Amino acid sequence: MGAASLDTYVHRESVIHRWTPRLKLISLVGLMFAFATVRQLALVPWMLGLTAVLYGLSGLPLTFLRQRLSYPGLFILALVVVLPLTVGNTVLWQWGWLTLRQEGLMATLLIVGRFLSILTLGFILLGTTPFLTLLHAMRSLGLPTILADMTLLSYRYLFEIAAMLATMQQAMRLRGFGQKRQRWLRVNRQTMEQLAMLAGNLLIRSYEQSERVYKAMRLRGYGYGIKSVVGQNAAAQPCALSWGLAGLVLAAAIALVIAEGILRQ
Amino acid sequence: MHIPDGILPAQVCAAGYAITGLATWYSLRQINRRPDPAAEVPKASLLTAAFFVASSIYIPVPPASVHLILNGLLGVVLGHFAFPAILIGLFFQALVIGHGGITTLGVNASMMGIPALLAYHIFQLRNSVGKPLAEPTRTGVFAFLGGALGLGIAALIFLGLIIFNIPAELDAGAEQTAVLALSLSHVPLAIVEGIFTAMLVLFLRRVKPELLEG
Repeated sequence: MGAASLDTYVHRESVIHRWTPRLKLISLVGLMFAFATVRQLALVPWMLGLTAVLYGLSGLPLTFLRQRLSYPGLFILALVVVLPLTVGNTVLWQWGWLTLRQEGLMATLLIVGRFLSILTLGFILLGTTPFLTLLHAMRSLGLPTILADMTLLSYRYLFEIAAMLATMQQAMRLRGFGQKRQRWLRVNRQTMEQLAMLAGNLLIRSYEQSERVYKAMRLRGYGYGIKSVVGQNAAAQPCALSWGLAGLVLAAAIALVIAEGILRQ
Repeated sequence: MHIPDGILPAQVCAAGYAITGLATWYSLRQINRRPDPAAEVPKASLLTAAFFVASSIYIPVPPASVHLILNGLLGVVLGHFAFPAILIGLFFQALVIGHGGITTLGVNASMMGIPALLAYHIFQLRNSVGKPLAEPTRTGVFAFLGGALGLGIAALIFLGLIIFNIPAELDAGAEQTAVLALSLSHVPLAIVEGIFTAMLVLFLRRVKPELLEG
């Protein structure tokens, strides 16, 4: 599921790695939202530049970004590829029925620019912070106990359940599932029933496991106090470097929003 | 069916987070009213993980395949835990595989989660409105409605958001036609999802009925 590669670079030593998680979370999410406000094409290079500087500071290799971007990149490409061909009146280039329109092209550049910048910031955040630390930071920022516990427990069992499903699917295939030829554009009732039972079995197995997990947690004191599984103590006190970085990033975010407002007028 | 980062304006993203905040608050309030909320957290968590994994199951419809969203089923099985479960599932998807996004997490969670809560309430109607029907038809019919409407409403919200937010230059008539055409194309998907939900719920009713107590 790709999570292994997410955690590969979290233990490096860069400025971004040493940034206090709570401040890093606030600053980078703030910047992501500032990026989402951008509607002027003139600001896109600034946005991409800022992202590139932060990525450079994080010391993450480019291969990491390429790997992570390939799947969501394809998705957005499918979504915006029609825009330059259909939207707008100013024709830039025409070849037979194929017309490239200026307004659509500008909209595409804007969407792709925003998408790349916001997603890269997300990967910087996750690539430099272990998941548990991130959850601690969110908890210290007021994430409700039930949500924090659910996130942690789901994450803990996610890969185990995925492995369970893979084993069950393999067992089905070994017993001949999916061998029969199916007619085009037809949903086979039997196949669907078998898949429903597969999903149902997965739910039942997870449910039964959750009962054992709960008993084990109960024996260790869970549910007797209001304390969460995820503690409140986020991390050490932020250092000057962390505050400085947070200040710079948030200032850039505010500057971007102001520039957007001025350019729009 | 997730909206990625960079497509929606910041105001819509912020509104999405506001709605998600409200829906989470409502769900957590309902959960905390139960006799022992802590006992249900591990169950809801593992089922959240299971739903996340189960959404990778696809139904072969040659030459393509249909991916299930399972948000209606999630509402039917998890009840008030459905909204937090969807929020967490989408958070993982955004982080682990880059599907969806951090800024659009609120919008996506509202789009999937509110129909899931509706699906839960529809499924609960089987004990009042559905009384005249005999079992297991009653459970099957209401599970179908929950599954189909869960996906149907989510698809409508998704299409509405995409169409009204991308091409500013498209005229209103073209937009309406596009919404109508795309909505109609989702009807078979909603039916498939509804049938799958009904089959699965009937299976759970036979094998593990306590999972349907919500």
